[in-house]
Amino acid sequence: MAAGFKTVEPLEYYRRFLKENCHPDGRELGEFRTTTVNIGSISTADGSALVKLGNTTVICGIKAEFAAPPTDAPDKGYVVPNVDLPPLCSLRFRSGPPREEAQVASQFIADVIENSQIIQKEDLCISPGKLSWVLYCDIICLDYDGNILDACTFALLAALENVQLPEVTINEETGLAEVNLKKKSYLNIRTHPVATSFAVFDDTLLIVDPTGEEEHLATGTLTVVMDEEGKLCCLHKPGGSGLTGAKLQDCMSRAVTRHKEVKKMMDEVIKSMKPK
Amino acid sequence: AGGRCSGSWRAMSPAYVPFLPQIRGSRARALPDRALVNCQYSSATFSTGERKRRPHGDRKSCEMGLQLRQTFEAAILTQLHPRSQIDIYVQVLQADGGTYAACVNAATLAVLDAGVPMRDFVCACSAGFVDSTALADLSHVEEAAGGPQLALALLPASGQIALLEMDARLHEDHLESVLEAAARAARDVHTLLDRVVRQHVREASVLLGD
Repeated sequence: MAAGFKTVEPLEYYRRFLKENCHPDGRELGEFRTTTVNIGSISTADGSALVKLGNTTVICGIKAEFAAPPTDAPDKGYVVPNVDLPPLCSLRFRSGPPREEAQVASQFIADVIENSQIIQKEDLCISPGKLSWVLYCDIICLDYDGNILDACTFALLAALENVQLPEVTINEETGLAEVNLKKKSYLNIRTHPVATSFAVFDDTLLIVDPTGEEEHLATGTLTVVMDEEGKLCCLHKPGGSGLTGAKLQDCMSRAVTRHKEVKKMMDEVIKSMKPK
Repeated sequence: AGGRCSGSWRAMSPAYVPFLPQIRGSRARALPDRALVNCQYSSATFSTGERKRRPHGDRKSCEMGLQLRQTFEAAILTQLHPRSQIDIYVQVLQADGGTYAACVNAATLAVLDAGVPMRDFVCACSAGFVDSTALADLSHVEEAAGGPQLALALLPASGQIALLEMDARLHEDHLESVLEAAARAARDVHTLLDRVVRQHVREASVLLGD
């Protein structure tokens, strides 16, 4: 009976739960779904991470290659993110060129990397003006159930923590790069940006970590990216219903709490991963 | 209806492959008497040692998609769903040899999960011939060595071969032993898949309260 009601009147169905301040799956409005992270599972990638946020599953693989540094910044490397939402993750996506959602997500991740300065691009430079690293961060969504931006940011951060770059020296005589695969070092991750997404219902109610259905029924969405010092890295509110300043403040304090939760999880995983 | 399966067969072939088949009507190409099977193969850019620039649409992906379609057309009972389309998407996250076999095994589980009627499980394995020995389930290093390789997709109950593909030259005297190695390995996969499916069904029925 509940299933029938849900199909016919999805919004009413959700409203009944929201009035009781909870999600249909029993979560409170401010509670996130179970988050799990697995680092370093893909051995062919230089760094990888798999993040599950409830049913939403996202995998990030990082490959490092050589490139000539940009002419206007000869002492910097590149970080190139790309988010892929293939047809297998959801019925909504059909095969073909990257859809709007994937492009928006890719741009969002690029903005987060740029604004939060996760890594100093100068760290990626091997020889100024001649050679630098380019990190291709490919994020693939394996299962889409809402809140893709949070999962992608988390996966990216975890994968970057996992990346090990070999030492490269430029041979003075030949001018060629010599890669020492035996000596690898981790990247210097300077900040840990964590994204928190909200959905707006009926122009008033804010819920955290929306599922796919909730996103579909929501009248607006908001994503806040915070780093550990409480600095705002990115605020993404693509149209939708308006929010008052006070509500925005609530969201930001929730984002700060979420950051602590995520950071704790990350630290545990990294500790278990690094050789003792 | 949708089915999803992901498996990391570290024992057999470390290629992690999740996907989803679905039934939909595709007016223009609909066949009047049976379902259309459509397979798309995509491998992640970080799946191989060298970064792959085109995850899908290149020749190898198209060929793989076609082979998967041919394999599954042999196994799925398409007559039961006329004028519909069954989409099978396969995504390879890490490739270390035997990708075709891993794709077929994962696809079998996902098609079963989706509830699409099949004649039998489709179990696949690769095999090769090195130093007068037949080897089953080649890794990437072994494949790159350049010896003869065989990919076999088997319907275990009847012992029928759904797909058999061979590369490089192999003397006909050796074919028997290589085929036998691949078939034996495929049957082992079948035992594993069967066990997993039964376990899953048991758990699901417990949750439903049967």
